[in-house]
Amino acid sequence: MATEDLGSNIQGEQPDVEPTVETEEATVTEDAELERTIGLSGGLAIGIGTMIGAGIFVFPGLAAGEAGPAAAASFAIGGVVALLVALPTSELATAMPKSGGGYYFISRGLGTLPGAVVGLSLWFGLVFATAFYLVGFGYYAVDALALAGVSVGEWLVIPLALIFGAAFTLLNVTGTENAAKLQNGIVALLLSILVVFLGFGVLDAAGLVGEPSPPETFAPFGTLPIFTTAALVFTSYLGFAQVATVAGEMKDPGRTLPLAMVGSVVIVTILYVVTIFVATSSFGAERLAAEGETAMVVVGRDLLGPVGAFAIVFGGLLATMSSANASILSTSRAIYAVSKDAILPGWASRINLKYGTPHVALGLAGGPILLLTATGQVEILAEVASFLHLLMYGLMCVALIALRRDEPEWYDPAFRVPLYPVVPILGALSSFALIFLMDWRSQVIGAAIMLGTAGWYFYYARDVKLRGAL
Amino acid sequence: MTRVLVPVAVLKGGSVSNGLVQLLSTMDVTVLGYHVLPEQTPPDQARAQFEDRANDALQALTAEFAAAGSEADHRLVFTHDRRKSIDRVAEETDSAAYAITGATGEVERLLVSLTGDVDVDRILGFVEELVGDREIGVTLFDAGGSTDGRLDVASESLSETGIETETQTGDGDSFDALIDAISGHDAVVMGEKAPSLGSLLFGEEADRVAAASVGPVLVVRSEKDES
Repeated sequence: MATEDLGSNIQGEQPDVEPTVETEEATVTEDAELERTIGLSGGLAIGIGTMIGAGIFVFPGLAAGEAGPAAAASFAIGGVVALLVALPTSELATAMPKSGGGYYFISRGLGTLPGAVVGLSLWFGLVFATAFYLVGFGYYAVDALALAGVSVGEWLVIPLALIFGAAFTLLNVTGTENAAKLQNGIVALLLSILVVFLGFGVLDAAGLVGEPSPPETFAPFGTLPIFTTAALVFTSYLGFAQVATVAGEMKDPGRTLPLAMVGSVVIVTILYVVTIFVATSSFGAERLAAEGETAMVVVGRDLLGPVGAFAIVFGGLLATMSSANASILSTSRAIYAVSKDAILPGWASRINLKYGTPHVALGLAGGPILLLTATGQVEILAEVASFLHLLMYGLMCVALIALRRDEPEWYDPAFRVPLYPVVPILGALSSFALIFLMDWRSQVIGAAIMLGTAGWYFYYARDVKLRGAL
Repeated sequence: MTRVLVPVAVLKGGSVSNGLVQLLSTMDVTVLGYHVLPEQTPPDQARAQFEDRANDALQALTAEFAAAGSEADHRLVFTHDRRKSIDRVAEETDSAAYAITGATGEVERLLVSLTGDVDVDRILGFVEELVGDREIGVTLFDAGGSTDGRLDVASESLSETGIETETQTGDGDSFDALIDAISGHDAVVMGEKAPSLGSLLFGEEADRVAAASVGPVLVVRSEKDES
């Protein structure tokens, strides 16, 4: 395949496409081997660790304010859409177990233009998502200070978010510690906190313990807000596709990739729905809404007293940190994937020999992240992040259909989507539908970024040919 | 012939001392150039940038082994996990042992550790082939605790093949005893041990021996169960 003419960008750089042989334990190129080192638990930790921060610790108050107790239904809808996309993504990832994720599948399945739009949009989508997680982190940091007896007020949220955003970027450039094990531990700890908390909350909601609370109208604002809220909270489901960005490093990808992606979506969906159910039934949607980003802390205090509040603040700090950090890493990988294919200049993927880290890509991630974090617009940041991801999700489903209709010789996925073509068609339609349910400002920003990336393609890389270039 | 895997941190200035090259001249050798990356970095990204430089260095190393008489080849791997890569390539190349490179001059005497739960027959077979008909003496070492008289049996069978053999025992902590016994020897041969609490806490015994002794260590791999 590499002998085909893949074209070149405006600087004369060509896509770096090497023929490879994939085994379960390594990728073998002509002159080197790339070890596969991430197992199923590592994959699940990436997926769950990225997702859990937003859905449980930031959104409940905001979502309850928009949809009432029916916010639980919004999260369920988000989970179904995520699952409809996770299944096709799994098939594509097992057919092309390469780092780059959604960008890779779309550029190979549909061609360079959609690939470039998705690849560059994913960069910005992750930047928006990371900024969103950082602002969420800032709220929890302020609450943590309040618990420690230092009352500071909300003006400190953004400065704290900025400091930690810069620190994460710097740590990723210079740090050679193995943070993956730490991430696994954090996710395990978070899951245990949540299971205890939710277990108690469900008992409470069922009226077995604590004071009975009056039932509320399920959907006080009608049904449309259920769907628009689903579009808002979809940011809580972005993490599963991050698993695909490390597809090239996962052991036994034919088995672990589908399990990690579908598994993480199913696990977080259940957790989200139960959390919202517990939060709204024990506390009431209205009071929840009034507490905003850190409403869960108040729920924790209501259910379990000061210990509950402490557990939720601690969990929220960990969860938003792990989401932000995982997203910074994914951003750097997204930049590498497009740079390797000559859609961005080759220098964007340089790594330094001293630390062995991709300092340019990390800088290209960290800089814009800090700019966006400074705006502090939680809902817009979340929706634009979802917009840009949903674009990729929809197109991944389209790419799957395109590949299946005329299966190329190399297309041999270990996992095939059940109920083809219903699942990918529904996945594509629901992804695009969620985009239309968003706030108009998010739609304008998202569309502008899309147009910008398309413009970049025509200016910089219009002669690059990636379709079918494995 | 029996193959020995020689892992080298090829982009971090890893090299192989001439003494080790000469010692392994009776064996087939696969030089495994590895480069460990932090998890932030996709291995493929490092490959694109460093592959040529690494392969040049590996070719030079391989040529040294070939000049000494080994049947030598090389592999290059970019990894997040050095241990896993060494195990995988050792398995794929069917290597009987892997080397931890260290500084040494000409090897005149080997210290062969038979302490603990190791496959004595495999280690002896390996040593016999390694020494061949060269004038390299062997000290068989047991830190104590084995009651099966393995030192005497082993010493007898090695002497029969014409290798000058001595035995030595130690007492106290088996690791410290081995380190104490190293002086007067130029390289260590030991068996691979199953992971234990100690190896989790302090790192693998062979790596610790290599760090303490400065000289090269050859680790004879245990037979893998087909699972």
